Amino acid sequence: MKLPQIDLKELEKAKEKNFKERLEFIDMYVDWIKKTPNLQWSLQQKKIIDKK
Amino acid sequence: MDIKFSKDNIAFEKEINDLDRLALDFTSALDKCKIKYVIISGYVAILFGRSRASEDIDLFMEKIDYPKFLMLWEELEPNFMCINTSDPKEAYTEYLSNNTAIRFSKKGEFVPNMEIKFPKQELDFWSLAHPIKVIMNKDVLVISPLELQIPFKLVLGTEKDIEDARYLYKLFKERLNSELIDQFVRKLKIGEKFRKYLS
Repeated sequence: MKLPQIDLKELEKAKEKNFKERLEFIDMYVDWIKKTPNLQWSLQQKKIIDKK
Repeated sequence: MDIKFSKDNIAFEKEINDLDRLALDFTSALDKCKIKYVIISGYVAILFGRSRASEDIDLFMEKIDYPKFLMLWEELEPNFMCINTSDPKEAYTEYLSNNTAIRFSKKGEFVPNMEIKFPKQELDFWSLAHPIKVIMNKDVLVISPLELQIPFKLVLGTEKDIEDARYLYKLFKERLNSELIDQFVRKLKIGEKFRKYLS
């Protein structure tokens, strides 16, 4: 099987970009949770955490 | 988010999830045995709403002697099992007293679990000496101060830790003791990371 060419520098850049986007998501999530009633955010959190 | 801060207390209401339930059930045994503890690390971010799963909840408990540990073991026994060993003497002497964590899960489950350690470093003792009571609905959990937890997450430094630090900092920035955070940032020599990820 022929494997694709892998550009490790490109991969590192993609990893950094992905992390930056995740940090930006954290900021959006904080903005959302600050203005969302406790019952609403905690029910959504429960759905994620209780999923086994 | 409706949340009330006072000097040593944080109070809020939430729908309890499985990790919250694990923390509450375990710490109620510690409370019954009058053992001081502080919850640290990732669960602190989850407690306050970060939506991510976790395999464990980390906790420091004060150093106790073996008879008291046995009392705790017996209190936990109906609902929890120690993952490392079924022998309380071994758990105490080979693990805890050697500064090695032990883990307790609900019976029949492996994860999530409680990772329990005695304090070892000055920072650990400081956490235990400055507990913050979190009143969640009508239940109480005790955590290490956010002003230490946030910088310490940057020391740990994985992407997950940095995300937790950023989450807690951005969520509570206006309520935190910024002077205390600055002191920890200087002591832990993480000024650059702090500026890069939290500013």
